[in-house]
Amino acid sequence: MATTTEHVSLSTETPKSLPWYLIDLPKYLKGFGLLTVIYVSLRLYQGAFAVAHGLDSSEPAFEQYWMRLFYIELAVIAAVASGIWGYLWTTRDRNLDQLEPKEEIRRYFTLTMWISIYTFAVYWAGSYFAEQDNSWHQVAIRDTPFTANHIIEFYFNFPLYVILGGCAWLYARTRLPLYAKGISLPLTLAVFGPFMILVSVGFNEWGHTFWFREEFFAAPIHWGFVIGVWFALGVGGILLQGVTRLIELLDKIEDAD
Amino acid sequence: MSAQIPISTFKPYRGEKARLVRAYDYLILVLALFLFIGSFHLHFALTVGDWDFWVDWKDRQWWPLVTPLIGITFPAAVQAVLWDKFRLPMGATLCVAALLLGTWVARVFAYHYWNFFPINMVLPATMVPGALVLDTLLMLTNSLTITSIFGGAAFALLFYPTNWPIFGMFHQPVEVANSQLTIADLFGFQYIRTGMPEYLRIIERGTLRTYGQYATPLSAFCSALLCSLMYPLWWHIGKWFASTRYLAKI
Repeated sequence: MATTTEHVSLSTETPKSLPWYLIDLPKYLKGFGLLTVIYVSLRLYQGAFAVAHGLDSSEPAFEQYWMRLFYIELAVIAAVASGIWGYLWTTRDRNLDQLEPKEEIRRYFTLTMWISIYTFAVYWAGSYFAEQDNSWHQVAIRDTPFTANHIIEFYFNFPLYVILGGCAWLYARTRLPLYAKGISLPLTLAVFGPFMILVSVGFNEWGHTFWFREEFFAAPIHWGFVIGVWFALGVGGILLQGVTRLIELLDKIEDAD
Repeated sequence: MSAQIPISTFKPYRGEKARLVRAYDYLILVLALFLFIGSFHLHFALTVGDWDFWVDWKDRQWWPLVTPLIGITFPAAVQAVLWDKFRLPMGATLCVAALLLGTWVARVFAYHYWNFFPINMVLPATMVPGALVLDTLLMLTNSLTITSIFGGAAFALLFYPTNWPIFGMFHQPVEVANSQLTIADLFGFQYIRTGMPEYLRIIERGTLRTYGQYATPLSAFCSALLCSLMYPLWWHIGKWFASTRYLAKI
């Protein structure tokens, strides 16, 4: 999804079946597909090995089935973060002042796709696996912060949506003139607020260590997560910024059938 | 620096521009769907939490108070953008429908298929009727004040009666081991949970329960008052987050 002005002519010629503003649609759909495969696979892994080997962290099988997965996740997260963020930064557009209106419109579409992929990851982390955390800890007494659901939810899902949110922020900052000139407040809120949910894991685990090992979702030790997710409402501001600029850009291009 | 919408340029687009704008709408729809499922669901699960998860937590006192009070937050914030900026009278319904979708997927696959809780034990409550009224009232009156007072109150007051057809049957009495329980209580005792012991199960506390059949309407009217206050608060929170400012530095 990264394109510089040097590549504009190439990118506008490539798609024969798709209109020029949807050139990144196949990559967007592949992104959805890839994330779906990853999340469903992790859920199936939990179904296969959580009850069998995920109830007692002192057993050797726990180390084999769950801590090994945890280490793999850390490596994948580090590689993906450095790879995608590094790519977006090194391929940044250094000629934003010469950007054509059509290319800028296309990039707004691509930014919207990045944010959409980000919200898809927020769905899995904030909705499905979050409630599943309650379900699991209602039947399994935790004896470690690395439980069979935490290893997926806290140490993979949370960092992954942070990475994807960071991608959206970096894409806008490096490829769209308004976002390069100033720092968008709503985009920054929508990315860095939910990032604080990852940080709140520390408070959550501290609270479970001190107060109770059972699960009680409405308890104050979880409210750090709640405040973090309010910042996702910043997406409304991103939408307003995008629509405003698109109206201006559409006025600059010719009508076509 | 803030983005200013150039009103003079509004005109119907034709041809390619119309298709482009429609494609952008679809992208936003997909984005919004997952955004509101993910964010509103996390907010709701970590505040209402067990009152929505379990049938034996759905009491006469706290459930009708807490659920609408928390449930009106995101709808108000999203209405502040969708109605105020786009004249779309669907902010509340969108949020509540997204929440319901997220909770149903989780209850089926995370509770029922993973940990074998009966689906009847983990049915989510609905706030769709209240959300429809909230959206309709805002559309018809175009008034924050009227929607806060009457819409907020309606959102809370409609909650218990519209959920009664779903959950009423679990309030039927049964006799088990010489004790009278509800079917909901029986579910709870049969499926042991870490959040099940009485010291965590903070339902039907205090002296209000001695009011018998009046406990529910009292809780609902208290919730109506609080929702009337919560609605404008979250409207302004939604407006603040939907800022269009660009900063020089952070």
